[in-house]
Amino acid sequence: MTILNESGIPDVLPPLHAVNGLAQRLPGALVIVAGTRAEAHLVRSLSPALPDPRVTFAVLDPDDPPQQGQLAGLAVEAAGRGTELVLLVCGRTASSLGVDAAFEARLAARKLDLPVGAVDSDAPYPTPGVLSTDLEDRVLAALVGLCPKRRTSELVEAASQAKRGGLFGLRGRGREEATGQGRPVVLLGAALSPGSVAGLVAELARTGVEVSGAVPDVGGAGLPPVGEGTVVGVLDPNLGTAADASRDRGARVVRTLLPIGVDGTARFLQDVAAEAGAGSSEVVRARSVWEELGALRNRVRGKRIFFAGDTGFEVPLARFLADAGAVVLEVGAPRLDRRFLSEELQTLGPGVDVVVSPDWRGQLQRIEAARPDVVVASPGLYAPLVARGHLCRPPRDFVRAGLHGYEGARRVLELLAKTFDRAEALDALSL
Amino acid sequence: MRLLGGVYEGPGSHGILRLAASMRGVHAVLRAGPGEGYFPALYSGRERDGRPAPVTLSPLHEGRRESYAPGDLPRDLSGVARRHPGVEAVILARSEAALLSGEAVPEFPAPGADGGGPAPITCDWQTPGMGETEAAELALEDLVRAHAGAKLERTQYPTVNLFGPPVFGPGAGAEYDEAERLLNLVGVEVNARVPLGATVEDLRRLPRAWASVLLYREVGESATLFLQDEHGIGRVTTPMIGAAGTGAALRAVGEACELDPRFVDRTVWSELSRTSKLPWYARLERPEAFAGRRAAVFGDFTYPLGLGYALAREVGLDVAACGTYLVHLERDFLFHAQTFTEGGFVEDDPQKVAGRIEAVRPGLIVGTELEAPIAEALDVPLLPLCYPAGDRPFVERPLMGYGGSSILADRLDEALG
Repeated sequence: MTILNESGIPDVLPPLHAVNGLAQRLPGALVIVAGTRAEAHLVRSLSPALPDPRVTFAVLDPDDPPQQGQLAGLAVEAAGRGTELVLLVCGRTASSLGVDAAFEARLAARKLDLPVGAVDSDAPYPTPGVLSTDLEDRVLAALVGLCPKRRTSELVEAASQAKRGGLFGLRGRGREEATGQGRPVVLLGAALSPGSVAGLVAELARTGVEVSGAVPDVGGAGLPPVGEGTVVGVLDPNLGTAADASRDRGARVVRTLLPIGVDGTARFLQDVAAEAGAGSSEVVRARSVWEELGALRNRVRGKRIFFAGDTGFEVPLARFLADAGAVVLEVGAPRLDRRFLSEELQTLGPGVDVVVSPDWRGQLQRIEAARPDVVVASPGLYAPLVARGHLCRPPRDFVRAGLHGYEGARRVLELLAKTFDRAEALDALSL
Repeated sequence: MRLLGGVYEGPGSHGILRLAASMRGVHAVLRAGPGEGYFPALYSGRERDGRPAPVTLSPLHEGRRESYAPGDLPRDLSGVARRHPGVEAVILARSEAALLSGEAVPEFPAPGADGGGPAPITCDWQTPGMGETEAAELALEDLVRAHAGAKLERTQYPTVNLFGPPVFGPGAGAEYDEAERLLNLVGVEVNARVPLGATVEDLRRLPRAWASVLLYREVGESATLFLQDEHGIGRVTTPMIGAAGTGAALRAVGEACELDPRFVDRTVWSELSRTSKLPWYARLERPEAFAGRRAAVFGDFTYPLGLGYALAREVGLDVAACGTYLVHLERDFLFHAQTFTEGGFVEDDPQKVAGRIEAVRPGLIVGTELEAPIAEALDVPLLPLCYPAGDRPFVERPLMGYGGSSILADRLDEALG
């Protein structure tokens, strides 16, 4: 594995594009995007034709900067009866015009008597660069901040009660193998991957670990307590800030592989179980899953894949697909948090090149030169690459399909197999 | 500060980028935050022509000054020509975040002073809060000013410049095609299409035309006024929408190009009998089909005015409300709208627009994609014919000219049943 820094301009969809998707994922949430016309236009342009009515824009007038407390007043005005949570998303323009998002959120929370989270969509990361999924990270960090905070002893009690209540309706499966779990486990992430959390909860239950909740919550279960002693399993590679927010609350963030791909899931389950005090081995299960996936692996074996995506999921996906027998030509990483992804990077195969801050023109040239079998391409490169005769797949498709856990590994391989099948069917046509 | 459910127009930088992406050989440098470069994705998804958007991001606050990482604006601007060999003009667009940061626009030597290409067009008139249409208009004027050749003789045969809509405009390419087809029928050739598909060479020879035909006034106004003032090129500003508007525009072109008016009339009649179906539609339907039926029209400038006039005068609907979101063209719009409706209004808040439309209880809404919720709530048909329109057809259909009037007749027939 080699890491190169190209210091270029990668093609990255702005993180704010995800506002609508996140609002749909958080029922009861009202999202207020504060900024100028630019932010409102960005969100509207990159959203479906009929955007979610729970997303609203506080459009600031640059000639008449808002007074302190005005945004909180608007939040109170916008919050309807069904609102359970308010998220104030403020970016660079809002802070240039003097909006103190944290203060406005506190004020609005007091006035509304509801949890209000402040999300700074443009706060810089320790490593330079932007990922299209950064807003997810910020929103999840804000949600972690809104989780109830209790001491370990209370948390353990709550977890044992939750066990009796049967979280996610999966009580039965975990019960017989429960091995005296010591700490409550919270899963963090998979906001835009439906079904991922439920699958992982089931897998953890099989290993004897009851999950006390997930952030964002699933099925209206509410945000779980996160505090001292809580074991947090991070599911996505882009959640550096959310993981830090959990750590700041005293939670133990498990340093392991992400539950993407077979080996990643096995390591994740094993390490989370160990951290929660319920040791188990996943070697046998992982081996059987690899065997089950044999036919699908044959479809990707030897295929040359170029990752030019913008989501941050490319690194674990490349790790999995390389393990499954594909040839990974290059992994573009618009931002690479080496500290957070250290386990992932250590596990990447020796033949994989990671290019940090790739220049989109350079990527186009390298793709032209290498002629890969499939390119995982960001939205700006998608049409130009298809026009040049390349087979492409947007990285968002993998995320939406739900790429976590053993079932997620199957879905990833199926998605690629479908892509190849479709291309072959089209190529076979005589036009 | 206002609470809005959406916006009709993007920021000024978006207008400049739309203009640059419309043309060939023009490259835009977007000075913006690292997470603001959404134009390539938008272009790729909307246009679907496989061309990478001619935009380079110069990220704000991210350039590590000791290295050659992007972020140094003067270096990024000068690097564009080097990295893109075909680029003949570079234009700078600054996002609202960049404008609010107070960063100064770098100065460049006069064109040709350093032996290099032309200096970048810096659009130093950009201010926070400026809308995309106004910025596109001013940027087009700057481009025309910078490149229009001096002391060029006009062409030997009559030619006109077509100033139409930029990229993302609904059916933009088809509008130019239809206008050019009609102009060719009356014996006038097109000297240049601006901005869609125009090259810098096209801009250089703009002063050779006999007249400028302004199809889309929102973007071409200042540039055609410049050509009129500096090069004495007359303007035809009648919107080519509906059969009456198209006929009036063709006659005005005939006058500007010193054509035989009888020949122009013969062409108009021939087109009315063969191509234009809107007058036929109006005559074939029973008068009761339209009388008393209210319509609300909302959009940019040319389309709501042209469509409003055609619906009111040619079809016979009662245009009870006709509005624009282009606040900077308020007086102009209201002046023209009063010729066919008493319900002219200017509003850029989608909710208030919905309120205005709801108040007149229309049976048909002609508008933008942002009128979809109110059309659904009122359960009336919506024709999203004005920018911003959500559909992105592979085959574009015009609304201008006689061909466009027939398409309008089809859409009306479908909507009114």
